[in-house]
Amino acid sequence: MTNEAQSVAEAVVGEPAIEKQPFNLLVWMSSRGIFVFTTVLVVVAAIFIDGFASLDNITDVFNRAAPIGIVAVGMTFVVISANYLDLSVVAQVATAAVVLIAVSNESNIPAAMALAFVIALLYGLVNGVAVGVFKANAVIVTLSTTFIGLGILRWFSGGSIYFGPQDGAIRSFGLAKIGPFPLSMIVLILMTLILSFVLTRTNFGFLVRSYGSNRDATRLAGVNTAWVVIGAFTITSIAAMIGGFVLGAFSNTAVSSMSTGFDFRALAAIIVGGTSVFGGRGSVLRTLLGVVFVSVLTNIMVLSGLGFGVQQMAIGALIVAAVSIDSLARKASGT
Amino acid sequence: MSQAQGIQLGQEQGGLVSRIRVTIARRTEGRALALLILVAIATWITEPTAFTAWEVTLGRVALIGLVALGLTAVILMGELDLSVASTLAVCGVVMASIDNLALGVVAALAVGLIIGVVNAFFVVVVGINSFIASLGMLFFLRGAAFVISNEEPVRLASRDAGIAFGKPFLGPLTPRMVIFIVAFIALQVFVTRVRAGREFYAVGGNREAAYDAGIPVRRRIFTGFMISGFVAALAGVINTLERTAADPTAGSTVLLASFAAAIIGGVLLTGGRGSIFGTLLGATSLGILQVALTLTGVQVDVQNIVIGLVLLLAVITDPNSLRTVVGSARSLFQGRSGSHPVG
Repeated sequence: MTNEAQSVAEAVVGEPAIEKQPFNLLVWMSSRGIFVFTTVLVVVAAIFIDGFASLDNITDVFNRAAPIGIVAVGMTFVVISANYLDLSVVAQVATAAVVLIAVSNESNIPAAMALAFVIALLYGLVNGVAVGVFKANAVIVTLSTTFIGLGILRWFSGGSIYFGPQDGAIRSFGLAKIGPFPLSMIVLILMTLILSFVLTRTNFGFLVRSYGSNRDATRLAGVNTAWVVIGAFTITSIAAMIGGFVLGAFSNTAVSSMSTGFDFRALAAIIVGGTSVFGGRGSVLRTLLGVVFVSVLTNIMVLSGLGFGVQQMAIGALIVAAVSIDSLARKASGT
Repeated sequence: MSQAQGIQLGQEQGGLVSRIRVTIARRTEGRALALLILVAIATWITEPTAFTAWEVTLGRVALIGLVALGLTAVILMGELDLSVASTLAVCGVVMASIDNLALGVVAALAVGLIIGVVNAFFVVVVGINSFIASLGMLFFLRGAAFVISNEEPVRLASRDAGIAFGKPFLGPLTPRMVIFIVAFIALQVFVTRVRAGREFYAVGGNREAAYDAGIPVRRRIFTGFMISGFVAALAGVINTLERTAADPTAGSTVLLASFAAAIIGGVLLTGGRGSIFGTLLGATSLGILQVALTLTGVQVDVQNIVIGLVLLLAVITDPNSLRTVVGSARSLFQGRSGSHPVG
């Protein structure tokens, strides 16, 4: 409360004279740390982990990073709008992958993509309306839509695995490479550039950041805050759909359980990248860096023979640690 | 707000009718009661077996309700503990990994308490939002359950104790139901009659005011998270005993159902309002719903859809949500041209 009053007072009086702040490790870690940590992690992995620096492994890291990264750059919008996260990306990614493979087997790829797009819009709308209009808690809303979505998907698919044709367009997209870069990585970079442009250069992106840092002020400024939230969730849903397409194309199979762990991996990438979970501050490019960090870390654990359980523990701890550093840095810098 | 108005109204008129009206206005269980009546009538018509086999239904209510009771203590303070479901799984696995039954139970309950303390530490000392802190804990513990159990169900060493535990021991009541009823009464007494428990409402209603009134807010939050951790561990112990094995993936449905029970029961997510009794009503209606759906042969996926819908409806029909939705709807359609009353 006092902080708010102080910031209001500062806004009225004008920027306080810029003083050179004494060096604070926590502030440095939360703002600049990720650049150093990612570099160190990659260098250490290249030196100490057998098989990390091979071309095959790097292509594999890219292949696995791409779908998670695409989801993460989209979900950055929800996090910046101070709505914590969208847990339902797990259901959305699996739905998009299953729809892509199953429907294109029955009819054709454009029909499959169109159906997946409609489903993605529906997810964005339901989550966005519940959170933006009804002001419900985003974690609880997306928890329930996860169960509803996965329930519907399993109900329709019967939990069965769908295989794409061996010579289809989906398969060739999943295998296509430019040098060591799989095509999915190009999609990720394109998505990052587009969404970064939306967040930093468009009116909507400005409103998302503004809503995240002070939702009451944004509302009182006459902004349709409901549309801002619906927009943020819709961007996440469309990103999750594209992530699902890429995931489905890469493995050329689809099953309702294929996206387990996407929720916390994407969240970890966003938070480690330096987007604040308290809202208002963050960037899509930083999320990309966070994706590299989380993917390399996961790859190191896989190469070291650590199982899914340990990976989950590590990433859970990583989320709490990154948020703790952010929170303590805020306290230390007095903002 | 409405509570204060209600009290004033009662003092002005003082009649029996107005006093009843005040009592109703102060209650938060309305939605749970409505759902319970709806579910009960629908079940009575389509699947009355759910009531004649009431032991089964009560067992299901106890399963959903126990975790929800612990959760209520935390939500009353405006915090959230998402880690309850994986606390349940981890504590079950810990208990089954220890050969000595008594030692296993004690260890599991201790782990539950420690998880509560760690959650509260991040919320109170580090200052992270409890949603994110307990979400990280959820992922961490889910992984831990896999690691401890080597990714497969752990059999309980003393199977006989487990089988004995599933049998009725007080009339038709199984130990699970008795534990649930005891936990309900204990928590109900705690939050309505014990000073520390009543202060939970103050902490949730207005934290600044609670600080100023001299309430040890930090200690209350620690207590709340420890209650929810302990109760979740207790649920894990009961599950493990009844199934004579611990499943590391247990609890994903419990997460959904327990939140649905607490929120439909009228516990406000922003804290300060709600009751243990409301959570009981919520758990009862969900329990009947689940048993009725199972008896009609509806598959688990569809049950998850139904409970997910109940949770979604519960969270958007929150009294606070409904109040803001009118204003939001206006701004949604009128846009910038609309005149916004401030405040």
